[in-house]
Amino acid sequence: MSGSVAGNGVVKVAPRVAMQFDQADRVYEPRRELGIRYHVEGIEPEVVRAIERSMLWYTEGKGEEDLGVHFFERIEDAAKLAQASPTGSFMVALPSSPLSYEGVVVKVRWCVRVRLFFGGGRDFVSEHVFDLGSVPPARGPLGRLE
Amino acid sequence: MRLPQFFGKKRGHRRTGSHLWGSFGEGLFYACLVAAGIVFGGLLLSGMVRYAPADGQPVPLPWAYAWCVWLLTMLIPGALLAFGGSGLTRVVRAWGKSEERRAASERMPEMLDAMGHAVGEAPGHPGVPTCDDLVNSPGTILRYRLPIESPESWTLFGFGLFAGLWNAVVVVLAVGAGFELVSGRTDWLLLALLVTFLAVGIGGIVVFVRALVLATAVGPTQIEICDHPLLPGEQYDVLLAQGGSGVFRSLELFLEVEELATFRQGTDTRTERTIVYREPVREWRDVQPVPGARFETHATIMIPPAAMHSFASEHNAIKWRIVVRGSPERWPVFVRVFPVVVFPAPAAISPVASARPFATVAGEVGS
Repeated sequence: MSGSVAGNGVVKVAPRVAMQFDQADRVYEPRRELGIRYHVEGIEPEVVRAIERSMLWYTEGKGEEDLGVHFFERIEDAAKLAQASPTGSFMVALPSSPLSYEGVVVKVRWCVRVRLFFGGGRDFVSEHVFDLGSVPPARGPLGRLE
Repeated sequence: MRLPQFFGKKRGHRRTGSHLWGSFGEGLFYACLVAAGIVFGGLLLSGMVRYAPADGQPVPLPWAYAWCVWLLTMLIPGALLAFGGSGLTRVVRAWGKSEERRAASERMPEMLDAMGHAVGEAPGHPGVPTCDDLVNSPGTILRYRLPIESPESWTLFGFGLFAGLWNAVVVVLAVGAGFELVSGRTDWLLLALLVTFLAVGIGGIVVFVRALVLATAVGPTQIEICDHPLLPGEQYDVLLAQGGSGVFRSLELFLEVEELATFRQGTDTRTERTIVYREPVREWRDVQPVPGARFETHATIMIPPAAMHSFASEHNAIKWRIVVRGSPERWPVFVRVFPVVVFPAPAAISPVASARPFATVAGEVGS
């Protein structure tokens, strides 16, 4: 992910993306719909060349990061861009899996990302985590049977 | 555009270096490989590289050798072109794209696939491995017989392969030393080498035979289950069958969850395995299978209602498994593992709910 300030001389301050989920605790059951409303602050809307809105899961922990995109949308068209920036919203039907998981060496996280693209190849990404399902955290490492 | 920095910093998951410059450098590297392949291959094909034997006229390299040798020399430029070309294509395809866009475009062929899901992934359950390999063997009493996951078999194979290859080298050395002795010469260096190699070869055979005896002496363990895949909150009838002629001080049945994380450490790729859940199911004491028959017993396993389902991605996995630990009277304790697949709870899979009004809690801002 790149830095927060576009380097073409147009964007002078770091953008900020405020995001609202339609469920306050951000814990969603599988196959429900998730609604997102976001507002981009700190930049002029016209400096945004494109917006990417995505919903994905990724792994954290000791292993290499794996990533699975459930929903992806790139908006470049000027008319659509005006509707998506600075304020936009979208709804996505959640899948049945993988559920959010807090393991010992493997963790699965779900998030919504809004990525803004500026001139000169710069971009800014805002990530907001939510839970899919209510799986309790793993108890901890246990010794192997011998 | 900022100039590239020679040193970058790692801040959590982020790095301070520019992705664009990184991709540019990577592309330049692959382009150099392609260029080297073209130049090297061009020189060979055009005949500009000549072979000048001491007693003859210089000839272009392609005609200096047989065609098969010439083809062999083309392996290096061919490899440079293939490796550089594939890397360059990958860099160009990923140029200027976010990781979400790359991941989404990688997913596209799967979406176009008639099955609509990735290979090895259960239909309708992203990230959940399929259990096709676990339900293709019918049980004798219950519905399915579970396959055994036996790293010991590969260890045994490794020991056998080592013993075989090493002793083949010993035989070659022995034949050479034998010819030397028959012709009346004694090469003490060769003999010393032969004795050392022979000692290692005998050691390899002993280790292999010991592992083979340990693997086969106890008798086979079989697990059968009444249904598959498993679901959280459900109970399943399990049949444990243990063969063998000796007495077992104990046989224990466990339900376990193992996390696997694969990561790179320098140039090595390592996998860390951690057991994060273990539920003792049942224990049998002083088991003595009847000669000619196997010991058979039933038990019930239950998957906790809020349990995590099985998960598998490229570098990470969460695996459920049934584990049998046996303590034979005359042999070391053995552990045998039978993988199972747990799907997400169907109770949690309800029809898509209607949209709710937005909560007034603002999301935090990440970068």
